Amino acid sequence: MERQRLDPRCLFDLMLSRIEARDFRCFEHVQAELHPETTVLRGRNAQGKTSLLEAACVLLRLQSPRTSTRTDLIRHGQASFMVEGVHGADTLRCGMSARQRRLAVNGAVMGRSGEYLKESGVVVWMDHGDMNLLRGGAEHRRRYLDFTASQTERGYLDALRTYERALRSRNYVLKRDAQINWRHADAYAQIMDKAAEVIWQARNELVDATLEPARRALEALSMGKEELGVRLVRGAEAGGLFEQLVDQREQEQRTRTTAVGPHRDDLWIGLHERDAGSFASEGQQRSLSVALKLAQARVLENRRGEAPLLLMDDVFGELDATRRQLLMENLPQGSQRVVTTTGGDWVEQQKDAIIYDVDAGSLKLVK
Amino acid sequence: MAALEYPAPIRQLIWQLKSLPGIGPRSAERLVLWLLSTGATQAPQLADALKALGSSVEMCEACGFYSECGTQCALCSDDRRQRAVVCVVEQAADVLRLERSGAFRGQYHVLGGKLSPLDNVTPEDLRIAPLLHRVRDLPAEEVILALSSDVEGEATANYIADLLRRAEIKVTRLAQGMPAGGGLDHVDEMTLFRALEGRRTI
Repeated sequence: MERQRLDPRCLFDLMLSRIEARDFRCFEHVQAELHPETTVLRGRNAQGKTSLLEAACVLLRLQSPRTSTRTDLIRHGQASFMVEGVHGADTLRCGMSARQRRLAVNGAVMGRSGEYLKESGVVVWMDHGDMNLLRGGAEHRRRYLDFTASQTERGYLDALRTYERALRSRNYVLKRDAQINWRHADAYAQIMDKAAEVIWQARNELVDATLEPARRALEALSMGKEELGVRLVRGAEAGGLFEQLVDQREQEQRTRTTAVGPHRDDLWIGLHERDAGSFASEGQQRSLSVALKLAQARVLENRRGEAPLLLMDDVFGELDATRRQLLMENLPQGSQRVVTTTGGDWVEQQKDAIIYDVDAGSLKLVK
Repeated sequence: MAALEYPAPIRQLIWQLKSLPGIGPRSAERLVLWLLSTGATQAPQLADALKALGSSVEMCEACGFYSECGTQCALCSDDRRQRAVVCVVEQAADVLRLERSGAFRGQYHVLGGKLSPLDNVTPEDLRIAPLLHRVRDLPAEEVILALSSDVEGEATANYIADLLRRAEIKVTRLAQGMPAGGGLDHVDEMTLFRALEGRRTI
């Protein structure tokens, strides 16, 4: 069957060996074989490099790091897009229109995204936006945690969605009436309490698991000892969320929004016990953000037992030759990478790699 | 030249039909054309049935289920049903589902929906106050909440449970878990998780 026609190494290596996209962003139709180690997409700006990277992310995770609006992904003037790829021994296919989504694994239609995601692989996305981990608001750091936890912890995504839905409803109840119906608000607080337990436990474990790999990655990248710290700053005191929300009545009456909970969590990132967002230098911050992403890859690998696909959008362009070399050397062993770049001598020097030139929505194989 | 259209009565009926849940413009058009040709003999009966719906069906004040005007509610007037247990459901259709199972012989109470502030459904929009009166008047010893297990259903259950606990009434919820007569392979993970949580000693 399908399995026998494939390169036998795919059966053992969970990698993305081929990707094909139709009507995705600027591409009418594009197809590319991917190298087991490194694939480089080279081209000037606005030629479609990142879109191809994004297609790989959508194929494996069903979401884009660049947008949450599905229609952004569909080529202008078309009604739907399709992305197909061979991951390990499985052929994954994902088609979306503005309102519909159709998923298939080896031709068998999957009704639920959960079933599909179980068959597909894990992904780490790296780009300029990673600096927001240090400079941006807490939502960037929560998204960093959520992204990993939802790929490793069973039930995390369900708990998070339940929490967010209950939170939205509760905030609406708090805002709507002059006289707040506390019993109604409490009905949601009970649901949030249960979901919060799951979320906090997973986030705590994740932060603990991230510390060591992040330290090691930073040490390697900055060629020296830098004391890195990460801590989960909970958006509530220890103990049950429900009781704490009951204690917040007065404040919530004033602010009309849910005062405490995981939606106010933050990830504290420090260098030598000082807040890295305000004290670290530009270069240190850049190294830190890369180190955190490498740690994310490591955690995913440890938990899932398979190395994630690294999608690196123009990460090398911003680094000097030494740091670039260091980063290259410190990418997790055995992980597959797809890299976009505007060019540079280092591209041609890659030994085990496939290199494509991307020009106006079409690919040309260089090597 | 104006675009050709169906005559006004046809357009009117299509418009009426497509405002019904689950019927789009194409289905509405097909239904109307069928009523004009093959189904012409049935059209008057359909019209009568529709009229009768408004004039001869009413909702039982007590339980919220439907009965024919002038007759007593089949559920509330049945003396063989237990009066000490009340089962709370979202929709009238849920009553029939539970009734077909044959497992319940108590009183029903239809809420008429579930709490959903984002859709502007508040406690006042549901038959919650009548439930409290009824529980007191019957008097009921146990209230079973047979509500859906999504966020809105859970919130509704929490809300009602909170009210009833103050009145010192025993409140229970339907168990979640294994489908009857099926193996583990047919159960999704979330259900299996709940089934494990709610396991019983035998």
